[in-house]
Amino acid sequence: MPRRPPRRYAYGMHEQSAAVGRAVEAYQTLADLAEAIEDEWQYVNDLADAYLPSIQALAEANPGRSLTAKQVAAVDETIAEIGLITDPHKAIDWLSTFPHLVALALGGDMEDDAVGTGGSGADR
Amino acid sequence: MRFQDAAKDGRAVVYAGIQADPLVARAATLLTRATAAERWLARAAMNGERTEADVWRRIFPSLFGEGVATELRERAELILEASLEVANRGEAARSSYRGAVVEELTARLLTARDDPAAPDAPVRRERRVLFDGVPAEIHPYDVTVESESRPEVYDCKWGARGINADVLNQLDDARAYAAEEDLDLDVAIVVFDARRSCQIRLDRSTASRAGTRLVALEDLDGLAEPRA
Repeated sequence: MPRRPPRRYAYGMHEQSAAVGRAVEAYQTLADLAEAIEDEWQYVNDLADAYLPSIQALAEANPGRSLTAKQVAAVDETIAEIGLITDPHKAIDWLSTFPHLVALALGGDMEDDAVGTGGSGADR
Repeated sequence: MRFQDAAKDGRAVVYAGIQADPLVARAATLLTRATAAERWLARAAMNGERTEADVWRRIFPSLFGEGVATELRERAELILEASLEVANRGEAARSSYRGAVVEELTARLLTARDDPAAPDAPVRRERRVLFDGVPAEIHPYDVTVESESRPEVYDCKWGARGINADVLNQLDDARAYAAEEDLDLDVAIVVFDARRSCQIRLDRSTASRAGTRLVALEDLDGLAEPRA
């Protein structure tokens, strides 16, 4: 009897919201760790203020399109990665990196959301 | 205004050894023609806690997933391999390697530029800019494009946190001194980090930066394009 190909499960909006919720919680924990660097307290909070709404907005990204199991696994693997960080200096670095990885995993874009600071890149 | 090689102290000699490591050239070559997603992979893997390749393949399904074209997947594998080699140099050496990769990447992108305004301008590393009657700067510029008509200086950073008042003031001072000599010196800071994070950092800075261009991770390809 021929083997059936593995079934690819699709995830709905509820799972997308749940994955984004876990990412938001992990990001907040990372920001709490990064705050230990007193000289960077303001920068850490500015990053969190800018990125947290953007991560939350990913819950609404791609309406009508189901996530794959691998996309959800990618978000959870990224959350696991930042969960291992104990150095607050590294936490600051990852406050900048993590949102973009989550957006890439979910097929979104950090720069496309309405709350982005935007900027042309040519800061003249 | 003139360019000059920076004198090498002990620290610079050690760093020169890292800059000359073939791993730096390999990583920079791969990142020169990388997509933004591949550059995010490099940034994350070079600065990750875990160095198992499978972890990073799972984090980037858009680069390593089943539906990804073989050519793209193979390129992502090479970038991942080089990035993890950097990470495996250990926490202490990583930061030096990452900085060297960003500098080399910047130099390679600028070298690839086909600029009719400055066709033969040499792209150099670790150079000072000297102005008549002005004390030499402490830190050399990471990358310079030494065009006689429209020279450029670049400071390169791994992360937005590297943006600070000293760096911005040095760049702005150089631009202002050049202007006093009726020269248009293009000054820029290249940061292998998110544009948004760089902008947040810049917005809090009180240093003069009106004439300083920001080139963030998302904008790197612009370095290889002719200047307006």
